[in-house]
Amino acid sequence: MICPSHRAGAGIDDKRPAEGLRFTNVTGAARMPDQTTARHRVRRRLPLHWLGLVPFAAFATLFLIMPTMKIVLGAFQTPEGALTFDNIRGLNTDLIRSAYWISIKISLVSALLGCAIGFAMAAAVVLGGLPKWIRGPLLTFSGVASNFAGVPLAFAFLATLGPLGMITVFLKTQLGVDLRALGFNLLTYYGLVIVYLFFQIPLMILIITPALDGLKREWREAAAMLGATGPQYWRMVALPILFPALLGTFALLFANAFGAVATAFALAGPAFSLVPITLFSQIRGDVLGNPQLGFALAFGMILITGVANGIYIWLRARSERWLK
Amino acid sequence: MMRVWSWGALLFGLAYFFLPLIGMAQFSLKARRGEYSFDAYAKVLADPQFQQTFSYSVVMALFTIVFGVLLVVPTAYWVRLKLPGARPYIEFITLLPLVIPAIVIVFGYIRLYNTSSWLPLTGSATGTNILLMMGYATLALPYMYRAVDTGLRTIDVGTLTEAAQSLGAGWVTILARVILPNVLVAVLSGAFLTFAIVIGEFTMAALLNRPAFGPYMQLLGSNRAYEPAALAVIAFGITWACMGLIQLVTRFSKHERARQ
Amino acid sequence: MKLKHSLATSVSLMAMLTANVALADAHMAELEAAALAEGMLTTIALPHDWCGYGAVIEGFKAKYPGITVNELNPDAGSADEIEAIKANKDNTGPQAPDVIDVGLSFGPSSKAEGLLQPYKVSTWDEIPDSIKDAEGYWYGDYYGVMSFLVNKDLVANTPADWADLLKPEYAGQVALAGDPRASNQAILAVHAAGLGKGAAAGADAGKAGLEYFAEMNKAGNFVPVIGKAGTLAQGATAIVVMWDYNALAARDTLAGNPPVEVVVPTTGTQAGVYVQAISAFAPHPNAAKLWMEYIYSDEGQLGWLKGYCHPARFNAMVAAGKVPQELIDALPPAASYEAAYFPTLEEVDANKVAVVEGWDATVGANVQ
Repeated sequence: MICPSHRAGAGIDDKRPAEGLRFTNVTGAARMPDQTTARHRVRRRLPLHWLGLVPFAAFATLFLIMPTMKIVLGAFQTPEGALTFDNIRGLNTDLIRSAYWISIKISLVSALLGCAIGFAMAAAVVLGGLPKWIRGPLLTFSGVASNFAGVPLAFAFLATLGPLGMITVFLKTQLGVDLRALGFNLLTYYGLVIVYLFFQIPLMILIITPALDGLKREWREAAAMLGATGPQYWRMVALPILFPALLGTFALLFANAFGAVATAFALAGPAFSLVPITLFSQIRGDVLGNPQLGFALAFGMILITGVANGIYIWLRARSERWLK
Repeated sequence: MMRVWSWGALLFGLAYFFLPLIGMAQFSLKARRGEYSFDAYAKVLADPQFQQTFSYSVVMALFTIVFGVLLVVPTAYWVRLKLPGARPYIEFITLLPLVIPAIVIVFGYIRLYNTSSWLPLTGSATGTNILLMMGYATLALPYMYRAVDTGLRTIDVGTLTEAAQSLGAGWVTILARVILPNVLVAVLSGAFLTFAIVIGEFTMAALLNRPAFGPYMQLLGSNRAYEPAALAVIAFGITWACMGLIQLVTRFSKHERARQ
Repeated sequence: MKLKHSLATSVSLMAMLTANVALADAHMAELEAAALAEGMLTTIALPHDWCGYGAVIEGFKAKYPGITVNELNPDAGSADEIEAIKANKDNTGPQAPDVIDVGLSFGPSSKAEGLLQPYKVSTWDEIPDSIKDAEGYWYGDYYGVMSFLVNKDLVANTPADWADLLKPEYAGQVALAGDPRASNQAILAVHAAGLGKGAAAGADAGKAGLEYFAEMNKAGNFVPVIGKAGTLAQGATAIVVMWDYNALAARDTLAGNPPVEVVVPTTGTQAGVYVQAISAFAPHPNAAKLWMEYIYSDEGQLGWLKGYCHPARFNAMVAAGKVPQELIDALPPAASYEAAYFPTLEEVDANKVAVVEGWDATVGANVQ
């Protein structure tokens, strides 16, 4: 999850190293080429510089790019290596379609709610006239909560809202409300949304707080001078400015929820029909009976999260224009 | 009026966050029927598998941090110093682990590095451990790189390098004794975040069949009633400790720079 | 004359027996040496609470301290184990399983796919013929009957039979103990449900069982989560359909918190057999064979018995008086075993095909 304190410096532009200092360099003899070898130097300098990136490039290629390409290409290959669309077509079964649909639904709803609630909380802290000391702890806690995903989160919610959870028991014994009878169940899409919100909301808070910081007070005052009311200011000035950041973060939250497997797996086990879990069970045990289908499933995942993140990156670049 | 809304939103949010934590803590104390006790914690801490998997994950986290620092700091430094044009591309690559889900990456590893490939990493326990460490480093890459990059932004890399070179320092000395101490705060932030990520990581360790803490937690979750809640409390405590240390370290550095 | 003849016969018989024993001992010593040279054994899908495997593995480690036991994925189902062998055909690393413990129907199918290698343990003759492959590719290890494990904190009226589980009072409470596309336990649970509906064993019971679970899913009683001791106690799955030995072991683990009841259904009482096998691509074949020798020895079989399983050599061992009375008493009542139906190999095979292929289509228990 994005570290909060560092995003604040997003606006500082990068400057090239102080070139003016070069000619005062004491070891100028080694650095100041004479004219005849100048061009030679220039031509030889470039490759040497790029060498510095070799370790990183090797790491990224071996452990990030090649595995991904293997999956992407494998989605279009038969076991023998011939090109085929059969694997993608094999995704068109009831089980897999509903898995994708449920995953998308959960991701959309948790991203939407995460955006709304996170925005409300961030706005409350930054612009809402609350005491200044609340901001620090809230950001720290957001950092913790956004990383508290996965297996422990599932346990925490089972212990709270599960059939024997604290709140369920409290509601039943003190208020006579039986959540179970009302049909509430953690293992439905809205139940999972409630669990996912635990790391979606903090992520929203972390990312949107710097953007809210960028809303200059002068704009608010200028709008007031021109006669705008509070809601009008928000509708016509603040929200349009924040819109790219909001939409971009929404896309990030969507991708975040879509790829999350550990939490749902810990809650529901390997038979739950969510795309990441189906992929997990497929990798482990070929439950779908077709080894190539795993590639297609994974490719579908990459496509969806890739598009969502692409939107996020594009919109983040646009929003940073206004908020510098 | 706005105050009321603000307080309302904040309190609603905080209630949503604290209730599961309280529920988790309360459930973990109910191991003994009818009374609160620390039985679940005692059982967990005494479990040899807990000790094994936890120490395995801690060791892996430390290795990942060292590897990450050794990879990211020189790269970020070099890009900032000599190849500013490559920055957007490097940044794009470091954002890729956020785009590609961990499960897809590890699936690729399994298909790519089995014993019939040119790099048979899964052929031995050590090889698989190395593969897992690379996976962890990939997951932590976005945060580590961003932290170090931001840290480098606040110091004048060029001047420091020139000065060090003028005193006769080689590249290793520059990195180790000039650059690293100056970005130590950023590096530590990245390190703590990596630690939190590795301790809780489940997907990669489970699919590569390594005895890490994440799969252990999941296994306990399906086979025991109260111990998982105790584990969750412990895991939350660790995450909180990491984040708290980051905050502490950052605040420490702010004071130092202010003093300068 | 007769005396001399019989004396001679008995002496030669003795000689033969001693020679046999000596041969067997030499064979064991050889095996032990080869296994120790390999130094490692990779197992898969052996939860420590299943049939007392925890104690059995500890016993093996204590007897052969030079062999490290590398335990893979304890939650794997039988299909996952087969997949692990297939996926690691060219892999000699620690992800390749040496030995597998799978449902009866998975034995012949894996043999046909060439995934197993034959080995006959020294106590081979005491294993009943009906549960072993004549050529020694797979061999039955233990059996139990299908039962319900009920969380008494959440369930007021304990169900007694399959039909009860469809009642509205058990809404959102019933779960299988595995993925019915991969776990033998779950696949046979479906079969048992079909038997409870009165269908004939085999593919018919498989289909009837699928319809039963489709009905349960529609009624809202079915929880598409893998039920275990933990999920039972946490309340997510208040009733779990699992083997009686697992249910009894879970009862012991939970130790009354929450209180549970183990119920064997009155109709559709079904027994299930598991088989052991050695992978054809085992990286440590001698360690695998040594493991087999250990678990089919008296020590190993009693270890399973302590885990509430009936080991394959049960009848022979009881007849020879090798089983302590307390262990026999701790077992589930023999009455349920007499009433239980032991499906034949063809029947479990046909059932497996029907259930694995039909589950998603018929029941399709998806997230709501």
